[in-house]
Amino acid sequence: MLKESLLEKVLTKALSNGADFAEVFVEDTYNSSIQLLDKQIKRAIEGKDYGAGIRVFYGAKAIYAFTNDLSEKSLMAAADAVSKADIGNANITSIDLMRKEFVSPHKIAIPFEIIAKKEKIDFMRRIDKAAREYSNLISQVSISYTETEQKIQIANSDGLLTNDARTYARVYVSSIASKGNEMQTGGEGPGAQRGYEFFQKLNPEELGRKTAKQAVTMILAEYAPSGKFPVVIGNGFGGVIFHEASGHSLETTSVAKGASVFADKMGKQIANQCVTAIDDGTIPNAWGSTTIDDEGNLTQKTVLIKNGILKSFMIDRLGGIKVGMKSTGSGRRQSYKFAPTSRMRNTYIAAGNDEFDDMVASIDFGIYAKKMGGGSVQPGTGDFNFAVAEGYLIENGKITKPVRGATLVGNGAKILHKISMVGKDLKFAEGMCGSVSGNVPVRVGQPTIKVDEIVVGGRK
Amino acid sequence: MFEKEFEQIFDIAKKRNLSKIDVFLTKNNSFSVKIFKQEVESFKYADSIGLGVRVIVDNSVGYAYTEKLDKAAFETILDKARENANYIESDEEVELKNYPNIDKKLKIYYPELEKVAVNEKIEKSKLLEKSARDYDKKIINVPYAEIGNARVDTKIANTTGLQKEYVSNLIYGYVMCLARQKEETKSGFFYDISHNFEQINGKTIGEESAKRALALLGARDVKSGKYPIIFNNEMAATLLSTFSGIFSAKAVQEGRSLLKEKLNSKIANDIVSITDDALLDIGFNTRPFDDEGYPSQTTGLISNGILQSYLHNSITAKKDKIKSTGNASRSYKGTMNISPSNLFIPNGKTPADDLYKLVPRCIEIVDLSGMHSGCNPISGDFSMGAQGFFCENGERKYPIHNFTVSGNFLQLLQNIVAIGNNLKFNLSSIGAPSILVENLSISG
Repeated sequence: MLKESLLEKVLTKALSNGADFAEVFVEDTYNSSIQLLDKQIKRAIEGKDYGAGIRVFYGAKAIYAFTNDLSEKSLMAAADAVSKADIGNANITSIDLMRKEFVSPHKIAIPFEIIAKKEKIDFMRRIDKAAREYSNLISQVSISYTETEQKIQIANSDGLLTNDARTYARVYVSSIASKGNEMQTGGEGPGAQRGYEFFQKLNPEELGRKTAKQAVTMILAEYAPSGKFPVVIGNGFGGVIFHEASGHSLETTSVAKGASVFADKMGKQIANQCVTAIDDGTIPNAWGSTTIDDEGNLTQKTVLIKNGILKSFMIDRLGGIKVGMKSTGSGRRQSYKFAPTSRMRNTYIAAGNDEFDDMVASIDFGIYAKKMGGGSVQPGTGDFNFAVAEGYLIENGKITKPVRGATLVGNGAKILHKISMVGKDLKFAEGMCGSVSGNVPVRVGQPTIKVDEIVVGGRK
Repeated sequence: MFEKEFEQIFDIAKKRNLSKIDVFLTKNNSFSVKIFKQEVESFKYADSIGLGVRVIVDNSVGYAYTEKLDKAAFETILDKARENANYIESDEEVELKNYPNIDKKLKIYYPELEKVAVNEKIEKSKLLEKSARDYDKKIINVPYAEIGNARVDTKIANTTGLQKEYVSNLIYGYVMCLARQKEETKSGFFYDISHNFEQINGKTIGEESAKRALALLGARDVKSGKYPIIFNNEMAATLLSTFSGIFSAKAVQEGRSLLKEKLNSKIANDIVSITDDALLDIGFNTRPFDDEGYPSQTTGLISNGILQSYLHNSITAKKDKIKSTGNASRSYKGTMNISPSNLFIPNGKTPADDLYKLVPRCIEIVDLSGMHSGCNPISGDFSMGAQGFFCENGERKYPIHNFTVSGNFLQLLQNIVAIGNNLKFNLSSIGAPSILVENLSISG
């Protein structure tokens, strides 16, 4: 990490043309991943990400430069380049950095490096074996194991100087079932901000079987019907519906430009009153949690929607300047190669009062989307789509048979009003979210919910 | 470039008795400017280097990379890569060679582009935004208007004496705008890529994005059913891009491709050809050699409906006992893989505007969403959100929205009945003309 005196010098240089704010973000990240495929260890790679990003603001204009040459000469050249992008009126001529320490609630028990690679590989093999033993329809299993230790340093012209360390553990399992010429996949990717203890607490056999079961169920399924139906969306990764349909449109990244359907809806009813939604960075050791954000602000638990009323956006520093609100500690970035923007952390619909059986019983003909796949949204219009990874038909109030190939499409602003029942069974799932500041770890979550009507794209 | 660093790495390798290694370096320099309401919203300057090594010990390959270029980092990555090689069980045979060079002289670096002043780029970005915003009162917002240029230097060396490098650059501009009519909001997106700053026409890009958003206003729902579908050139390229992984010989050998055991068989309609051409004159992935240093070539993948070849690197080629197609691909952070260079469906015989006239009614798709979630590259099944037009009697009748299009990519290749003559490449250098496909499921 950089010396205090050098940081002060770089910040002062960055401000030398009258900028209002300057910030340096330094990163030193260790990555390691191992891949198992065809029952063999096919790939193992590790490495170091290393670099710094310098940002200045002239009003709401943001200038960003990054480099991985951290010599004084190179950093001063980058600071000079960003300073010269404009001329401002601010007159900050010296910076006096004050070190600020934050205590991380995300405790790490077992550092990755004290565990032999062989043990990690044995863990992967147990997943592979269990998946293959589940059914002879399983033709391929792919497992990727990753560990990441990100060390960052942030200094800015407010005088802030701080550090953070984030440790991530994740395993992604994908099983393929084949029948004739057809293939279907089942996947799970649990992750956390933990050391090797995370893998020790996972049950590898259960994980393997779960992905295999999903693939086998889908290969034996018929194609989903097409049309407008009521849909029951399962808990856990089902939360991707809120993440895509509403979450992205509540980030100041889109709000500030009026490029969000919710831009002028603060304090208004934007969802059915059974919906309360939260973005929480404080959950200990959760995949999407932070201690501080990538701008050095303490993370928060932010209530976005309470009983259907819009209460808050997710706000970073620049977004805050643009919308005239305070940061919610939501400034995040994949690495020093990205300027931070407002991003989600652990985002979920809070538990409600409905029973799963009552939701299913209320539907004559519809879909139970037990497990969702990924999706995307156009924040300007709110139009979203996502795939159903494991789906079932609901007929006359009962779950009858599995269906595959379904996609749900709709509009975020509209669908929030159509959520009519919210279950008690809140659960989370881990994912990577991609946006303008890169890919960041997030959690999605929800209890089982019922949506009264949604377009289901099937093949029938 | 980086002669000293490469020398240092080979020296360290020698001291550690590592006789088979290769070193891959990329250096990226880029600049972009975004405009919002005629003001500069942001600038971004990027300057980054990454270096990856492959170490081969007893036929096993270990990888490691660093973004810090100093002796200590080089020692660490060589040690880590050697350690990683110990765990590899793959039966892949990796061979390092001093491959020859191509004969052709490629024009992929345009020095003039590096000389364009920042101010000129700002002015052009402002024009992009203004042309979209001023085009019609219904254009209520232009959230994204950006001009950017990028230069990439690539260098590869290995212990058989191979040492090669090249540099390429390009410039791009794009606009995304929103049009509103009553409660309905639609977006329009348009982009262009070039080697020549003058060829990025700010006015056209802005206006085209506005026209696209406006054309979608007043959209109706569509009745579910089977329809003939026109994918416009950009969406045909999106489809090809989404499923381009099926051509990878690695995916085939690992049992993850639809095209397994399909070589020399008919997998598409007679009129369909697909080519991968790393030597293409105007290509944005044109290069003298691939990421193993293997010389570039033109490879016919599908010719008159028949699958002629997969895309290979030297490892998959060796396994199939043939020659590489020069599609080895890696980033310094990743492991050796296969990817297309400039992959495209060549122009067909039908003028793009005549595609509508071939069927009494059809649906034209101009926007797809959910490629990463609604497409299964292993089964070929897709079900994506779409926007477009209902067409009848040879022309667009009205815009339609809120529907999905679904099918299977291999069946789609069989069902392409006409190909337009308006080939366009996307930002990943995958291209297609507009295509007319029989009978796909629409769900609205």
